[in-house]
Amino acid sequence: MHGEYKMPGGKLVVVDLEVRDGRLAGVQVSGDFFLEPDSALDAINRALEGQPQDADEAALAAAVQRGLGSDVMMYGLSAQAIAIAVRRAVDGDAA
Amino acid sequence: MMRTEWRDHGWQLIHTTPQSPSLHMALDDVLVHEVGAEHRPPTLRIWEWASPAVVIGRFQSLRNEVDMEAAQRHGIEVVRRISGGGAMFIEPGNTITYSICAPLSLIKGLSFQQAYAYMDEWVIEALATLGIKAWYQPLNDITSEGGKIAGAAQAHRGGAVLHHVTMAYDIDAVKMLDVLRIGREKLSDKGTTSAAKRVDPLRSQTGLPREAVIERMIDTFRQRHGLTDDVLRPDELARGEALAGERFSSEAWLADVP
Repeated sequence: MHGEYKMPGGKLVVVDLEVRDGRLAGVQVSGDFFLEPDSALDAINRALEGQPQDADEAALAAAVQRGLGSDVMMYGLSAQAIAIAVRRAVDGDAA
Repeated sequence: MMRTEWRDHGWQLIHTTPQSPSLHMALDDVLVHEVGAEHRPPTLRIWEWASPAVVIGRFQSLRNEVDMEAAQRHGIEVVRRISGGGAMFIEPGNTITYSICAPLSLIKGLSFQQAYAYMDEWVIEALATLGIKAWYQPLNDITSEGGKIAGAAQAHRGGAVLHHVTMAYDIDAVKMLDVLRIGREKLSDKGTTSAAKRVDPLRSQTGLPREAVIERMIDTFRQRHGLTDDVLRPDELARGEALAGERFSSEAWLADVP
């Protein structure tokens, strides 16, 4: 499953994932955003792994936020933008 | 850490013979760490390309961005860089690429948006002396009335900032669109994308040879910030070559975001 979201004034966030037993699996976030340190991408993927398939945007954004250390810096990207791309992937609205 | 100014540093210029795409990726990594460790003064490196390349951003999905079969057919090497941002399509002679490796103190207190614009003020000035009215288009583009000229990316590593930019001198848009996959969502915001954004290359805008544009850029940097001609140290080149072979041309790194 594949979802994309272009954050207004920001960059493109892409999410590829599967749903297994009602939960997100094999989550891979990608895009042309900026993220420091670069290891934060793995932390974001891990934070989304296992989330309920019906988790709403707010719950997904909160999960991403919790998974990130306070030293992480995003440019052209936000936890909410990632959450929107996840919802689009799950809902089949690749846009 | 105190904020520093350009003139607080003894800027060095590296501009050498054409090198492979994977070596360029590696040299960015080596030099930003050397500057961060204060083993080398802040450095402007102008790239010369030995072969065509697609350079994808640190966080881009290889299969979503690149048609590998088309890249192979055109003899284009696909590499992943250490900074974020979008895919760049490079043919030797068609782009002007440079890296600035600087201590983080140079951009201390600046927002990301301010830091990008600040690192390229000298380029905006150089373009102005060539008759091109260009400006910074957040988040990370240099643009002009005619269209986009360049895209920038920054990465913070080991106490230093790497700021690198690829400018379009000339472009084979047909080949580019053959190799890069451009999605619909990317087009939704501004009606354009990093790769397909109406690019107005420097060749048509200046009527000057590529070398003359580079020379003007170097002159402008030298006048504004001071600049001493330098070369890669043998140990820097050796580490770059090792990293290019072991990491930057490896399938594991290229497909790190599959």
